[in-house]
Amino acid sequence: MTPSSAYGHGSPSETPQPQPPEHTLRSPRESPSASVPDFVTNTRSSSFSAKSVLSSPESRLPLTPAKSSLSKSRSPSDSRSQSGDRSSVSIRDTSPSVPVNDGNEEHRQIIIRSFAPRVAVYASEDTNKLVGQKGFAGGLHTLLRPYGERLQSRVIIRDSVGGSKGFDDFGVRFIDCHELQRASIGDSDGANADQEARVLLNGAQYGYEKPNNARLSENGTAIDQLLNHYLRAEDSTSIDRGGNYVDHDGRSNGARSTYSPLYPIYLRKLLSGSSLVPYETFSHPVACIIAVSSHHPAPIEALRQLYASTGHGSNKTPAWVGTEYLRYYVLIHDEENDDITKSTALFDLMKRHFGLHCHLLRLRTSQCVQTDDDSTKVPVCEWLSAEEEIGLLRSRDYTNEFENSERYIFESDASAIKALLREMISQSIVPFMESRVITWNDQVASRRRGISGRFMSLSKRWAGFGSNKGAASGLSGASNASGSNYDYQMGFYPPETPEATMRQLGDYAFMLRDWKLAHSTYDFLRTDFSHDKAWSYHAAANEMVAITSLLVPQTYNSKHKFEAIDQILDTAAYSYLTRCSMPSSVVRCFTLAIELLKNRGTIAADDAARWGGKLLEYGVLDPIAQALTSERIAECYMSRTVLNVPTVGSRRRQAALWNILAADSWVKLDNPIQARLRFEEANVLYQHEHQQNAGPSFPSMQAFWGDLARSLRIVDLDGPQSLVGYGDFGGHLEFSTLGETEHLSAFTRPGGSDKSDIEGFTPQDAGRPNSGFSDRSDGFE
Amino acid sequence: MSYYFCIVGTRDQPLFELEFGTSKQGGDGIARFSQEARHMNPFIVHSSLDFVDEMQWTNNQMYLKRVDQFASSHISTFLTPTSTRFMLLHLPHPPNTAPQSTASPNSFPPFTPYTSTPASTTTGSRSSSSSSTSIPNNPTSPQTEEAIRAFFGEVFEVWIKAIMSPFGSVEGKLGSPVFRQRVVAAGKKYL
Repeated sequence: MTPSSAYGHGSPSETPQPQPPEHTLRSPRESPSASVPDFVTNTRSSSFSAKSVLSSPESRLPLTPAKSSLSKSRSPSDSRSQSGDRSSVSIRDTSPSVPVNDGNEEHRQIIIRSFAPRVAVYASEDTNKLVGQKGFAGGLHTLLRPYGERLQSRVIIRDSVGGSKGFDDFGVRFIDCHELQRASIGDSDGANADQEARVLLNGAQYGYEKPNNARLSENGTAIDQLLNHYLRAEDSTSIDRGGNYVDHDGRSNGARSTYSPLYPIYLRKLLSGSSLVPYETFSHPVACIIAVSSHHPAPIEALRQLYASTGHGSNKTPAWVGTEYLRYYVLIHDEENDDITKSTALFDLMKRHFGLHCHLLRLRTSQCVQTDDDSTKVPVCEWLSAEEEIGLLRSRDYTNEFENSERYIFESDASAIKALLREMISQSIVPFMESRVITWNDQVASRRRGISGRFMSLSKRWAGFGSNKGAASGLSGASNASGSNYDYQMGFYPPETPEATMRQLGDYAFMLRDWKLAHSTYDFLRTDFSHDKAWSYHAAANEMVAITSLLVPQTYNSKHKFEAIDQILDTAAYSYLTRCSMPSSVVRCFTLAIELLKNRGTIAADDAARWGGKLLEYGVLDPIAQALTSERIAECYMSRTVLNVPTVGSRRRQAALWNILAADSWVKLDNPIQARLRFEEANVLYQHEHQQNAGPSFPSMQAFWGDLARSLRIVDLDGPQSLVGYGDFGGHLEFSTLGETEHLSAFTRPGGSDKSDIEGFTPQDAGRPNSGFSDRSDGFE
Repeated sequence: MSYYFCIVGTRDQPLFELEFGTSKQGGDGIARFSQEARHMNPFIVHSSLDFVDEMQWTNNQMYLKRVDQFASSHISTFLTPTSTRFMLLHLPHPPNTAPQSTASPNSFPPFTPYTSTPASTTTGSRSSSSSSTSIPNNPTSPQTEEAIRAFFGEVFEVWIKAIMSPFGSVEGKLGSPVFRQRVVAAGKKYL
């Protein structure tokens, strides 16, 4: 087992049966050979369409995706028989002994991988033109991005105590320099600066509308739209299109857990949509690539200019983004038109001018098409944010999908890019981050942590009180009235202050997966932030304390520890919601906590479910996210439940409740397929207790139950797939409706007929799924 | 505060169900659950049996206090020696007014009517210090706990008398109108 997954506790799935060699367990991109993955992605998509074709005749309906994949994961022979792409079949297929895999480990990997260093790309005009000729209109970063997300080689990282670990799934995200600049526009612009300041000044004002926040919530609806698209895509016969797209990393499709096939996608989108904010530095660039091509008449000057634009002087980046990141210089050599000797000479010159962080990238200029000899497919970006993906899907709808969605480059180009990234990450970026962590840890953090540091910060605070009077009489600056480094007017810590540096230290350590160091740093910071009343910083630090303490591999799980985490999460949520009104951050914070807690085993699964309930209660989730979260809560409780074995501490009834709630949410979302799955699950759970009866045991529960069943059955009868795979379903329905009518008189409730009684539920829900469904079926035929 | 009281037998079958409202602070004793909540109540009570089953092995008291919370509904439990469970769901809201629901686009359906009530902040410890300690408003306060204990005590007494009837059984439904009356009286007296 590789070190990165050695943290995992819940990997019983990997132990029982004789394993194929290690690398087949891991996803294809991590296999050592550099050329394989592209081939694999190629075959995978085709094999997937083959699978969907295979699976559709047996029940030929939209219902199949979840259903068929369910059976697939249970029968390994099925997946093995299509052995053409054996290596691309995901982890779960190799573990048929565990029928229900709730994706704990997978979700943990998603979370860890989502916090990857950002690399800004500054490319000269001619570089972008050159890349544009190859068919990448968006500029150099669009070419590099898919490769940066899945680095094919193992990266060795030294942690703060000197141990080194190798990670196979390390990656970086390339962002365009314009994204940085866009964030800074509000900063530099005089009119907007005030607004921006108001946004960030969260200590004094409560409950105002945040423009930043509006953007984030828009982001939330973007996720919602996207998930909706996936749901519809699963429904419709055009599964190939949607499914192919879902299948970014070859996991989501190959084998789906019985639960929430959509959940990993949701998690991914939630995490990839992080925007540039002052209070956490994950989305701040760790390095930047300064690229110039051999077409340029004066490359060295161009590099200098680009270098200048990365700094503060040009106002290109917001004031709260530190500028002390790594600069990496890349010379792109045009293989077809330019002379390599000239470029090599130029490259030597570059090395002399700019030091060691240089690379010569040799690319061919002409556009590659699929029919070319050594063409290879460009992998799909996994970490597109929801908006980007929606944009992509829209553009795909308008144009011919194959032209647009699949891009090809030459094999030589692909390997050149991979070599560049390998060298850049393992020889420049990671060592740079390591040295930063060591330096900051020595110079800033340990000084603050030590006894004198505590004393200093204390005395500074007292001095602050002293100078408060001075501020009142107009002697000292308003921004520094209390002696803290927090800029109250602009609402951030300038990047050179110890607080901001330590936050960056924590984030670097986090990205290098040194959880312990990150944890102690954040833990130290959060008291500082609360003293300074920097609430957004405070909330973010609290969030990260909780998350890192859940990520630190632990041999024991004490109740006490989880209680501490409870309190921290509570504080984070309070700061985010009440003090800063940033609901989307709460969503991220709690969702991560739920996943990581769930990963911690059965005791923590209860806590995870509780936090899920709280998250739903806050009312900050989008409708689909609500349904997914309640599914997830049900799953948390399910993980403590063994069917047919009565155990102490079983959560069967809780799981049933949350399954019902999830089914209800899906019904309201017009999604009978998901709803029916959840409903069936609940039915199984309730049935277990009541052998002779179907449905829940309380007669007073039958009303709601029967109603849900009825609304599902109505859909069932009208839909094209009625009575397929649900032979035993009708029986329950008959019974439960009978039981309901029988009971209606028994239970105390105000008068009114059945239909009107269940108001807010029956009328529109019985009608809506129905109409929605017929709409959809019209669409196909 | 609105209450949903349920006696659950050993095989998870309900033997007696009753809804009532608070009679303290001028309350009129009428339950004011919204329709959605009314349908969810049995589900919630049923699901918290999980926690009761777990707690009964670690707690040797008959009164298990607050065992579960779902949104702002709290569930208190009393466990009789025969493992019959008295479950009381209480939903705090001001007396004589229904918990109004504001239709926010992002609220989760079963939670909707509760989250808007001002008395019920989700952080129990914080609210107990700030809001009043009266029974109808604060389900986590010791006063509420004591009142529910007294209620359960009285119901237990009545229940023993009821099941001693030679025509009924411990696991049978409690249909006696006198029993119902007594329980309502107990609710009026203590809650």
